[in-house]
Amino acid sequence: MITFSNVNKWYGDYRALADINAEVQKGEVVVVCGPSGSGKSTLIRTVNRLEEIKSGRLTFDGQDVHAPMSSAQLNRLRSRVGFVFQSFNLFPHLSALDNVMLSPMHVNGVKRSEARDQAMQLLERVGLASKALSYPAQLSGGQQQRVAIARALAMKPPAMLFDEPTSALDPEMVGEVLAVMRSLAADGMTMMCVTHEMNFAREVADRVWFMDAGSILESAAPESFFKNPQHPRAQRFLSDLRAH
Amino acid sequence: MFSIFEILRDNWLLLLIGQYPNGPLGGIACTLILSVLGILLAFPLSVLLALARLSPWRLLNWPATALVYVARGVPLLMIILWVYFLVPLLIGRNVSGFVTMLCTLVLYEGAYLAEVVRAGIEALPKGQMEAARALGHSHLGAMRLVILPQALFNMLPSMLSQFVSTIKETTLGYVINVPELTFAANQINNQLLTKPFQVFFILAIIYFIVCWSLTRAATALERRIEARRAGPRRAGTAPQPTVVVETLAAEP
Repeated sequence: MITFSNVNKWYGDYRALADINAEVQKGEVVVVCGPSGSGKSTLIRTVNRLEEIKSGRLTFDGQDVHAPMSSAQLNRLRSRVGFVFQSFNLFPHLSALDNVMLSPMHVNGVKRSEARDQAMQLLERVGLASKALSYPAQLSGGQQQRVAIARALAMKPPAMLFDEPTSALDPEMVGEVLAVMRSLAADGMTMMCVTHEMNFAREVADRVWFMDAGSILESAAPESFFKNPQHPRAQRFLSDLRAH
Repeated sequence: MFSIFEILRDNWLLLLIGQYPNGPLGGIACTLILSVLGILLAFPLSVLLALARLSPWRLLNWPATALVYVARGVPLLMIILWVYFLVPLLIGRNVSGFVTMLCTLVLYEGAYLAEVVRAGIEALPKGQMEAARALGHSHLGAMRLVILPQALFNMLPSMLSQFVSTIKETTLGYVINVPELTFAANQINNQLLTKPFQVFFILAIIYFIVCWSLTRAATALERRIEARRAGPRRAGTAPQPTVVVETLAAEP
């Protein structure tokens, strides 16, 4: 579904991504973890081209994401990649329902009544049907992030990307967002999640990618990654986590 | 003091509507129509200028930037005289003082408002544009549906103060014989000859009342918007203020 081959990215002299070779299979849940500044967010943001790459090839659902293309083609490609941000980025001037309806209507040309029905179903799915008419500022962080997930799902994406979806949340709200992500994984959604929630990785992920200094140092099934990490940097990272 | 009331009693119609219907509409009516039309026409221009200023495309960016800098870097009176002498040359026939003044105001206010709009757009969190683009909206689509509705709403108080400035700027129409309020006052002064202080005192008071009440309205609006921004955050636990929902729903 998502393949990286020899992907490199530089910020000036700084090498943000170094020869990334990896693949996310259809239906697979991949958790990307690693210390801050290791390139996790940069990696996930290259998938819908919020970040450009310097060299290499990145395909999404068979399509070369970084090939030269018109902006209309890029918009169409982006509309098929579900993306959830750390800071939710809901549109504050629209109600939860309108947030979810906006892009199907204006990007995909779905009729209003149809978009509304679909949006209500999605809000129901994330447990927020009763908040459909609330504005983002009236919702808690966890509720906002769940609306943001519904908004991304409304475009019917073949895969969902999560960029630290729970890092900006109060601890008691993390669970409700993870529960939604769990149910998505259970439904067979292809997912790539940058997260520090190691329990989520252990229980839900099919693979864990460990990144440091712009490279994927280890890619393993969660049991073996958490029990028996191979790379010394990963061992140190996990023991630092356990120390808390 | 008594003569002030006398002047008002004898000339209130002239101050209100000029020599209409025997001549062109003037006085306060002319001033207000000029200001309202000026700001209404300047507004779409300013949005276009701001979008061009923010565009990475040089062909759009450079001329818009040049226009904004020139309009902001030259005294308004200079622009009035330019338009006054240039427009008839360009279109080959004379235009009224009113139209000249309107063109000038649209240009001048458009340039100032463009910077207000640009600031309003740039003040929004970067994540808003990013989220819209990630959902597949085009740049202009994201501007129209996500960025501008928020930016313009936040800018309402600034736009109202710009409107107040516009009212004050219409006084300069006097130099090209636009029959606005200052012109009317000067006519009265020329008739009476001996009471310039009283006449221009009345003029000042009228401008002050109009501008001051609008400034007050801008301040009140600003407070409401601030309360709206701060309010709902606290309302996470408290019951939601219904006013907030109403103002939000009234947005385009």
